[in-house]
Amino acid sequence: MNVPGTLLTVALGLCLATALLAPAVPARIRPALSGLGTAAAGAVGAAAGGAAMAGHAWSAWLPDLLPLAGVRLALDPLGGLFVAVTGGVAVCAGVYGIGYARHGLSGRVVQATLPLFVASMLLVPAAASVSTLLVAWELMAITSLLLVLAEHGRRTAVGGAGLWYAVMTHLGLIAILAGLAGLAAGAHGEAFDQLRAAHLPPLARDAVFLATFAGFASKAGVVPLHAWLPRAHPEAPSHVSALMSAAMVNMGVYGIARVGLDLLRGSSEGGAPAWWWLLVLAAGGVSAMYGILQAAVSADLKRLLGYSTTENMGLVLMGLGAAGFFATRGAPRLAALALVAALLHVVNHAAFKTLLFQAAGSVLYATGTRDLDVLGGLRARMPYTTALFAIGALAASALPPGNGFVSEWLLLQSLVHAIPASGVAGAVALPLAVGVVALSAGLAVATFVKAFGVGFLARPRSPEADRAVESPPSMLGGMGLAALCCAALALGPTVIVPGLARAVGTLLPGAAPATGPVSGPVSGPAMETVTLHLSGIAGTMSPLLIAAAVVAAIILLAGAVRMLAARGRRVARLWDCGVGPMSARMQYTATSFAEPLQRVFDDVLRPETDVDVTPKQESAYLVERIRFHALVPDRIERRLYGPVLAAVDAVGRRARALANGSVHRYLAYGFWTLTGLLILLAVIP
Amino acid sequence: MNDSMYAQWLALACGAFLLAGVLVLWRRDLAAIVRLFALQGVALGAMVVVLGLRQGSVHLVAVAVGVGALRAGLLPYLMRRALDTPPPGNGTAGEEARETRPLVNVATSLLAAAVLALVAYAVSQPIVRLSPGPATQAVPVALTVLLVGFFVLVTRRRALSQVVGFLLIDNAITATAFLTTSGVPLVVELGVSLDVLLAVLVLQVLTTRMRAAFGGTDLGELRELHD
Repeated sequence: MNVPGTLLTVALGLCLATALLAPAVPARIRPALSGLGTAAAGAVGAAAGGAAMAGHAWSAWLPDLLPLAGVRLALDPLGGLFVAVTGGVAVCAGVYGIGYARHGLSGRVVQATLPLFVASMLLVPAAASVSTLLVAWELMAITSLLLVLAEHGRRTAVGGAGLWYAVMTHLGLIAILAGLAGLAAGAHGEAFDQLRAAHLPPLARDAVFLATFAGFASKAGVVPLHAWLPRAHPEAPSHVSALMSAAMVNMGVYGIARVGLDLLRGSSEGGAPAWWWLLVLAAGGVSAMYGILQAAVSADLKRLLGYSTTENMGLVLMGLGAAGFFATRGAPRLAALALVAALLHVVNHAAFKTLLFQAAGSVLYATGTRDLDVLGGLRARMPYTTALFAIGALAASALPPGNGFVSEWLLLQSLVHAIPASGVAGAVALPLAVGVVALSAGLAVATFVKAFGVGFLARPRSPEADRAVESPPSMLGGMGLAALCCAALALGPTVIVPGLARAVGTLLPGAAPATGPVSGPVSGPAMETVTLHLSGIAGTMSPLLIAAAVVAAIILLAGAVRMLAARGRRVARLWDCGVGPMSARMQYTATSFAEPLQRVFDDVLRPETDVDVTPKQESAYLVERIRFHALVPDRIERRLYGPVLAAVDAVGRRARALANGSVHRYLAYGFWTLTGLLILLAVIP
Repeated sequence: MNDSMYAQWLALACGAFLLAGVLVLWRRDLAAIVRLFALQGVALGAMVVVLGLRQGSVHLVAVAVGVGALRAGLLPYLMRRALDTPPPGNGTAGEEARETRPLVNVATSLLAAAVLALVAYAVSQPIVRLSPGPATQAVPVALTVLLVGFFVLVTRRRALSQVVGFLLIDNAITATAFLTTSGVPLVVELGVSLDVLLAVLVLQVLTTRMRAAFGGTDLGELRELHD
């Protein structure tokens, strides 16, 4: 057993030991044990993934662990990347969870399930056979469901969210199971090596791709299979939200990449159909747009972050779809570049979404609410959380010097440079994709300005926000770790790009490295380490230099403003139309901030507003109270899921007549089915 | 044991097994039904003993004794005890001890049993063809008893008849297992037997509870249990 294998085994062992020990120790130290165990397992897991990304492959076959098929595990650079991301998120979530669990989450089930959830997410990318993958996948679904339901006693919405999640994740599992079972049947074997060598007829190949794409896309929260995500992620405890939103959704991306680019390789010899990848690109584009639009108008902080996850997964899928499309068009360099961009965005998104969900949890912990419209003024009361959320918001808005900028820039580069040489379909799709990426980045800025500005700055809009106090050190520590990751990724993405290039190599064999030390006009050993050179196309970027330039510009600007303003500064009362001091309710709220956007995208969002005027009794002109109620429903969900749910409900109502309570009747159903089947068997020769 | 002796003894045991199963449909008296079930247990034990002697396996004979003791001794004893528990208050003991109004009357039930036997014979032809011999040729008998047991479950009202129907099915499954294989591993047989015992204990408790709640053991009373 080599380095990654040993490390992965140790990580899984730590998870298991923590899960077994956590129920046995007293409730007082249980969160600390569970959190530290999870964090340690995450750190070891991240090291295992890192070792695999560095090129140490590992595989193992444990025939006795599962009946019939046994367990097959393997770590290649691609799997290693996702293991490493999961491990990193688990470290932050574990440390954060120690403090967060004081909020009444120190129960046995929750604390024992958390390490198991992490273990299952470490296993999914390491699975090397269909049965192992499905078992790990189901374990991940069940443990995350248990964690989503952790606070079901406190809010009624948790139960509904859990139901949505349970149903959708299992429908996704069925789709994946059907697709992979079809592939395994065609390959006469279920180990991934056998699947790679299989030759499926085109129709079966398309069916396998579509089924697995649907299943994995639903896990990634891609529109229109996203309905569970904005429900389940906000209702889960915040460190679980972070794990789900930053690590679990990635597994959907992993699955699509693994099946589409790797396992179906043998079946799509001579090129996979281009429409597969245009479909992925389109799904990604729709998700990116719809996700960020819903996030922009959402007033619930965690729901906003959940929709932002849909957006970012959409961007990742756009990169993935573009990569697959370029590969079919014989442009391996661009394909590799798009894939590097997608994988880098997975890493970046994991870092900043961990941070943002944890910061949102910190706010929830201190104020008891997620509603942005009643928050505010937290900068003075929770300075560290505010600073950390600001870092996360900067990263999420894809502006330099945040880390989200780097990957989105790479994605744009690959899309823009591909337009001239990609045929009619590409000539139509790629400019649209560029537009979508640019527009989603712009809306993301508005969204996170809203989340940060309304949530943390200005004056508190409610007594709860006024009474907020800073979170305990362990929570700040978890957030701090995530913020460090964000900063490291923002300044030195060149460090992990070689690992990403190896991961790309497993998916697109023969593709030249997308980025590398190509001698440019400004070269030299120092420049090489901080600059991303795109090979094949003219493009270089140095995140470190950009960051330095931005910081220098800000310092210069602030200094200049201070110097100029200090001269003519004068203190006066704010103009308040003569009605007296302005109250906190006169501030911009999240709803009012998003109102212009909502107006622009009125046709897409179809907001529902309701104004209820109550006049005084004597006069119709004197108003006693005006109640304004605004709601932005998820329109896709309403139009797509509503009819299906209604139909299922109607069938259920009708089927109720079958069950009238008589035991004999139920037994008779079984009896007639059995004898009918037997007679049928006897009649058919 | 020579071939013809083996075939005759096996046929005799299987005949008794089938007859006991079908007669359960004929009798209305619950005590008689329990006696028939005990008789069937003896027949099952005898069947396994014959198979064991044929294969010269002491192990199989020991299993047969265990199976017989459970199905002809312990389970009927438990059912008798449930039957003999006096109903609370001034219950109608005479009503309770009889299968008064089965959903399908006795004559039709016997005809149905004949039809089920035909189905069983038709269905098990492929199994018999696999390796023709006295043991596999008796498989249709076991399948018939299984269908009859299911039929009892569907048409009889008393909780005790239901228990017997369930146990007929289990007897039939055990018989099929012994007839088609050359002996079931002891662990498997022990597990199955324990399972059956537990099921009977649960059903016994259910019977007692039903009596306490409704004053009778007519399963038709349980209609309210639906959503």
